[in-house]
Amino acid sequence: MSGTLALSWRLLRGGGRRGLLGAGLTAVAVAVSTMLLLFAVSANAAFQGRADREAWRNPVAAGEGTAAAAVQAVRRDYVRDRYVTVVDVAVLKPGTAPPPGLDRLPEPGEVWFSPALAELARGLPAGELADRFPERIAGTVGDEALVHPGELVAVRGQAPDSPVMTAVAAADPRTGTAPKRVAGFTGSPTPDAQAYQALALIATVLMVVPLLVFGGAAARLTVARRDQRLAALRLVGATPGQVVAMTAAEAMITAAGGALAGAVLYGLLIPVLTRIEIAGGPWFASDLWPGVPYTSAVLAAVPLLVGLSAVVGLRRIVVSPLGVARRETPPAMRFVRVLALLAALAAVPALGAGAAAGVVAVVLGLVFLAINLAGPWVVGMIGRITARTARGPAGLLAGRRLTDDPRAAWRTVSGVAMTGFVAGFIGFLSPASGLLGDADAATLRLSVPAAQASRLTAEARERLSAADVAARVEVTGEGGRRILAVAVGKAAGDGGKAAREDDGTSGGPARAGGGAGPARADAAAVDRARTALDGLVPGRGATTAADEDLPGVLLLADIGTGTVVVLTVSFLVAVVSAGITAASSVLDRRQTYALLRLAGTPLKVLDRARRAETLIPLAVMGGGSIAVGVFCALPFSVSAVNAGGMAVLLVCVALGFAGVAGAGAASAPLLRSVTADPAPRPD
Amino acid sequence: MNVVLEGSGLVKRFGPAVALAGVGLAVGGEAVAIMGPSGSGKSTLLHCLAGIMKPDGGEVRLLGQRVDTMRERERSALRRTRFGFVFQFGQLLPELPAEENVALPLMLGGVRRGEAVRRAREWFGPLGLGGMEGRRPGELSGGQAQRVAIARALVTRPAVVFADEPTGALDQATGHDTMRLLVEATRGNDASLVVVTHDPQVARWCDRTVEVRDGRVLAGGPARDGRDRDGRDRGGPHAGPGAPGPYAGHAQGEPVTQVLPGADR
Repeated sequence: MSGTLALSWRLLRGGGRRGLLGAGLTAVAVAVSTMLLLFAVSANAAFQGRADREAWRNPVAAGEGTAAAAVQAVRRDYVRDRYVTVVDVAVLKPGTAPPPGLDRLPEPGEVWFSPALAELARGLPAGELADRFPERIAGTVGDEALVHPGELVAVRGQAPDSPVMTAVAAADPRTGTAPKRVAGFTGSPTPDAQAYQALALIATVLMVVPLLVFGGAAARLTVARRDQRLAALRLVGATPGQVVAMTAAEAMITAAGGALAGAVLYGLLIPVLTRIEIAGGPWFASDLWPGVPYTSAVLAAVPLLVGLSAVVGLRRIVVSPLGVARRETPPAMRFVRVLALLAALAAVPALGAGAAAGVVAVVLGLVFLAINLAGPWVVGMIGRITARTARGPAGLLAGRRLTDDPRAAWRTVSGVAMTGFVAGFIGFLSPASGLLGDADAATLRLSVPAAQASRLTAEARERLSAADVAARVEVTGEGGRRILAVAVGKAAGDGGKAAREDDGTSGGPARAGGGAGPARADAAAVDRARTALDGLVPGRGATTAADEDLPGVLLLADIGTGTVVVLTVSFLVAVVSAGITAASSVLDRRQTYALLRLAGTPLKVLDRARRAETLIPLAVMGGGSIAVGVFCALPFSVSAVNAGGMAVLLVCVALGFAGVAGAGAASAPLLRSVTADPAPRPD
Repeated sequence: MNVVLEGSGLVKRFGPAVALAGVGLAVGGEAVAIMGPSGSGKSTLLHCLAGIMKPDGGEVRLLGQRVDTMRERERSALRRTRFGFVFQFGQLLPELPAEENVALPLMLGGVRRGEAVRRAREWFGPLGLGGMEGRRPGELSGGQAQRVAIARALVTRPAVVFADEPTGALDQATGHDTMRLLVEATRGNDASLVVVTHDPQVARWCDRTVEVRDGRVLAGGPARDGRDRDGRDRGGPHAGPGAPGPYAGHAQGEPVTQVLPGADR
């Protein structure tokens, strides 16, 4: 075996400049694949990490009969257009392990700020934020308790009998959790975190499948170049085992180098990637570092997969030493490939909004693989049609080449076809963003017990007046629950309809802002009002309609970001893969190209044939894949077709075409170079 | 002799190595063999004459027109329209059927596909390739592939056909047939033939032999004896006085020139 390895290494090194160029192309392809694969793996680990770090803020009530260690309440407050997560903790059992991120158990009258909150509280006037936390600042919440570095979190110590710890449930469960008696500060992942993990898993499938296909293509690329030499080795008596071992060894040596480079590249890229904002904030660098086990697994798996793919690509040579030396009409692709795609698509209507993320991921993965199976068949068909209808030599050459080796042509366009699928799927699925974002941001609302409505209204006015906030305060609603509505800024600039805080009171029929359209808020005044109203009703904060829409707005933004990330990854794969296959196809056929050139064939014709060879299947397969993607998205589509999503899709298609055409054009100088000197022998 | 192609004082260097050191050669409606051992400069001479390479010194003329001063685009067009090429191997496009390989130069010249394929097919019968029009290069024997290459070289009715070791990859019997067809088909089309070879048996099919060594022409060999100038082949090359050539037994009867498509135009 070591002899085989040594010979493989010598052959690799002795391959000459062009041989090395080919090996280099494979290494580049593998490096890009590894880099993106690490990203895809890390993305899952990163969301997992966020879910774990956030879990302590989703308290789980201690079971019946279990002694509670503490009481914990979580509330969502707002400053400007950001969340502040306020965690109130009352310790019942001394000696309990402190919450994550805190160096000790909080005592009543103490508060811990996350670094971002501390900075913001220092930066804004006290009346807008800091005054909400009159407690003594006891320390900083550590990173291990934060979802992201920019998160605003406050942890307050409370006495078990303080009003906050005995308050009733918040009106809206999304804005907080009522005080719970907990056995410890472990909690469980929040539903939001789990939803993000599910989305990350689907995104991973969308990214990983094209990556694996690309990795396989890169491996075949090595084999294609080695075909002839390995066939020669076989002819001189190398056993199939030796040929397979040598090919695998050579591909794996190259791939190992590429994988290592990819890991280093990924490491260098982490600082950039941490800036991608998801769920309201960027990432910790440690989130995006997949860790030694995952990295080692990827570094081991990539060369193995490349080796395996290379061996599969060699089957024909091993079966017959003449298989490559003699070019024969290849057997046509079997129709069963298309049947596989149809079967996978048949499973799609069974999916729906209720399907488990795992099932969706599996079906999407299957459709992906089925597209990859059916691709060469369709390309072969396109080739036959192109060849039959071609008038000029370029079309004829392109058509015949497509028919001759549909797999190779598919490798060039598979990346964009896969991206088309992703674009079709996401583009059709993204909800229209126009549904949100226009909500009233100037009217703070606070639910109050009906019995105390008048007293609280009066107190609110006093507090606002003391904070020098111009606002109209009124009570709406009926029955046991009343809403205290505070229209910030109404007294100042709303003409006749405006009312000063002391005269726009009882029974004014017009609701704040009514008739004047959504009020535009002075964010600072709203935050001053928020701060002034803080603690008016223990355990509840005043919120605007815009605050309540914030989760939806963030989710939409995240879907947008996720789409861009997934499409960027797919595009990188598509374009790099197209460039590498185009270059390797020139290298593989350099003798033919040189002889054609020598016999006077204009480079233009060769180039046009090469372009047609890529662009014709690209148009058909890209379009087809988008259609399949849209089809797969249909069961999940809840709203009308999203114009923005469709625009993203169109831009993607255009970019894909441009990228592949550009990548193909990038190998034109290579074509020129291999044909520039058609007679290199001085003989 | 009406000179069709003429190179004079040709010099070509590859770094410090001198491949051609002032070579002259004129070809006019005949078959000329350029012979010499490996590294003698014979292929370089062919490449300079065919406009593939630009010589460092001297000049090349086709029917009086300078070739060596043309730009690459013009030389490329010249090679496509006025020259034909036959090489040792690897010249047929593996994914095209034989007839499309032959039709390709016509299509490159602007002939419509249907017409190009029709004209290409005319060559298959006379060259003994009947029924192989649809086969792909991988499905042809070495000799059959060379005959397809001959058809392709002649289909545009070039002035000169260049052949570089055209029988190098063939066995003797097949090489004999191939040379016979090459010489007669070019002659039948009023084309000149320049063959580079190191094999004296191949050279004997030609009217004349030019010996190249160390970048210089040593001697012009004798014209092929026993052969009349209108191309009537009497069955094979003359290997020497009184000695039948090794190919003699394989020659086939009917003169090809009478039935080749180019001959009746």
